[in-house]
Amino acid sequence: MKLNKGVIGRLYRVEEAALPQSMKRRLAVLGMTNGTDLEVMNNKSGGTMVVKIRGTRFALGRHITENVEVTAL
Amino acid sequence: MITVAFIGNPNCGKTTLFNAYTGAKLKVANWPGVTVEKVEGSFRFQGEEIRLVDLPGTYSLTSYTMEEQVSRDYILSDEVDVVIDVVDASALERNLYLTLQLLELGKPVVIALNMMDIVEKRGMEIDLHRLPEMLGAPVIPVTARKRRGLEVLMHAVVHHKEQKTPDPLIHDHKYPEHSRHRHNHHSEYAMVYSDEVEDQIDRVEERLRKQYPEAGNLRWSALKLLEEDSTLRERYPEALKGLEDVDLEDRIINEKYDFIEEIVQECLLGKESKAELTDRVDRLLTHRVWSIPIFLCIMAFVFFLTFTVGDFLKGYVEILIDQLNGGVAALLSAAGASDMATSLVCDGIIAGVGGIITFLPNIFILFLALALLEDSGYMSRVAYVMDGIMGRLGLSGRAFIPMLLGFGCTVPAIMASRALENRRDRLKTMLVTPFMSCSARLPIYILFSEIFFPEQAMLAAYSMYLIGILMAILTAFVISRADKVRTENALLIELPEYKIPSGRTVFIYVWEKVKDFLTKAGTTIFVASVVMWALLNFGPSGYTPEMSESFGSMLGRFIVPLFAPIGLGFWQIVVALIAGISAKEVVVSSCAVLFGISNINSVSGMDMLHGELLSIGFGPLNAVCLMVFCLLYVPCAATIMTIRKESGSSRWTVLSVLFQFCTAWVMSFLIYQIGSLLLA
Repeated sequence: MKLNKGVIGRLYRVEEAALPQSMKRRLAVLGMTNGTDLEVMNNKSGGTMVVKIRGTRFALGRHITENVEVTAL
Repeated sequence: MITVAFIGNPNCGKTTLFNAYTGAKLKVANWPGVTVEKVEGSFRFQGEEIRLVDLPGTYSLTSYTMEEQVSRDYILSDEVDVVIDVVDASALERNLYLTLQLLELGKPVVIALNMMDIVEKRGMEIDLHRLPEMLGAPVIPVTARKRRGLEVLMHAVVHHKEQKTPDPLIHDHKYPEHSRHRHNHHSEYAMVYSDEVEDQIDRVEERLRKQYPEAGNLRWSALKLLEEDSTLRERYPEALKGLEDVDLEDRIINEKYDFIEEIVQECLLGKESKAELTDRVDRLLTHRVWSIPIFLCIMAFVFFLTFTVGDFLKGYVEILIDQLNGGVAALLSAAGASDMATSLVCDGIIAGVGGIITFLPNIFILFLALALLEDSGYMSRVAYVMDGIMGRLGLSGRAFIPMLLGFGCTVPAIMASRALENRRDRLKTMLVTPFMSCSARLPIYILFSEIFFPEQAMLAAYSMYLIGILMAILTAFVISRADKVRTENALLIELPEYKIPSGRTVFIYVWEKVKDFLTKAGTTIFVASVVMWALLNFGPSGYTPEMSESFGSMLGRFIVPLFAPIGLGFWQIVVALIAGISAKEVVVSSCAVLFGISNINSVSGMDMLHGELLSIGFGPLNAVCLMVFCLLYVPCAATIMTIRKESGSSRWTVLSVLFQFCTAWVMSFLIYQIGSLLLA
């Protein structure tokens, strides 16, 4: 499933990010690499989300969340 | 002298720690060639002069952003003796990524483990014995906000300045016995990669040694080359011949994070007990329905404070200025000064500069509020909250932060637009940010709304802010519709833990702004007042007390026809507006000089100005036009220069200035013409 369908309070594992290389690189540096677990903290209808990755909260825009493939844990 | 570079992730408390050592005695400049701020301070410790340099907050040391490039080059330069890596202990996992990169640079690194109090509060502990063993660098627990651990940290710095090799490393990567790599790096480096990566590093190192004998720091250079770092690939183009396909970037990042996970498992003890305060607060502040009304209430409260508390304090400043003016006038006449000299000092300098200083309390409160919002961690939530609305305008929520900062001062706001990755977004944000009413425009609203709308002064001033926001939104919307290129405006921003703002950090931030304001009053506004006085007191026939025969009046009259259709066809106002391009407050100080009012912001001063304005036929409708025009017209000289620098394009700068002028003219025109019809 795509990350933007994530439910608040649930944990997901990142499988694959279909994003431009530069964006992938920025996410990787922040600790969001393939196989990373994340928790959905907040999800607005538009797909803008707050996720917790490795103990830090990040706000992610719709363009990111709808292109990240995750599996529920 | 020891030069110490401070580096750390954004929101790790680096600035608080930095300020704890240096206090408010900072030297703020730009790094050569770029508009990245360089903050420096110094102090003495145990007889040694220690120079501290604050580097921009960053998550990594790649060469993809200006900030990271600046930090990396500086740390690698000979100037730096020791690097202090400020690590937020409450977000250890993410912060250690930068730490591992720093350790690879080969400079002496001392780790300042900040926010230890938060870790404790969460019922967790950090093994301070094991952590340095795994990293090979001293780890000093500090709590910057409470000024704990400061001396120990500096002590470690002084002792590690000569250290070229890491402290004894005792660690065992998960399965060291299976390693087939020909070196045992575990005693040399904290970060040891898998055999495959290490083999490649060896190969590239070997080539570097042969092809570029001058290259230093071989392991780091090899790693960066394998990570496809553009700067290093340009510097050593031959080193990767035949290895171009080897892309280890993902693996290198992943293996660093694998090691970090090991560190965290070994060193971070205890389980988080209670749901964190930040999450509970966020449930409300980033709520899908309530977040926007709450944000609007917070901003309304900020402006309410700016006006009420600011006005209360203003009274005292006025009394001071009044007494000064009276005293100086008496002194000058006692000394037998000429009329002209007395006029220059009292009508020119004190009226202009003094008139502006009375607005200091309002501006102080506004910056204080912005500093509190920023330091508490709320500012980045605003980016999340506004992302939906901004998305419809073709901008990411992140672009709202520069706009919000624009309420304080447009110059840093324009600089903050740098955080946007996309150049189109940056230009768009730069174009709309000047519409966000900055604090320099506040004196104009306060003065004219209190004169013409004494009952609804606050409301009148509020509406200026709203008009500014609406114009910014409208502009962004029109551009996003007209713009054929669809950019992917992906929001990506850290939402830090909420914290009680640090008094010291807030104080230093506000003090910097107050200092800027006073400097501006002493320089730009001083010069503008003197020039204004000269323009108004000299004419073709020399010194003349009759202003209507002065050069200023001639200049104003020449341009008046352009301003007549927008309700500003008065030569005095035109002159004030032209002068206002040097700094927006100058519109007010010029009025003071123009109408010869010594304390323009006091009740008597306002009455005088009111009378003068009415006598030339300037009424409430004209006042509205003036306020709207001042809100929207050409930004101040400092802003124009910043736009030029940040956009790198003179053409763009000229276009955006023209656009602003035209917008202001059209808006005032509409208000004046429609208003005249309605009132008639």
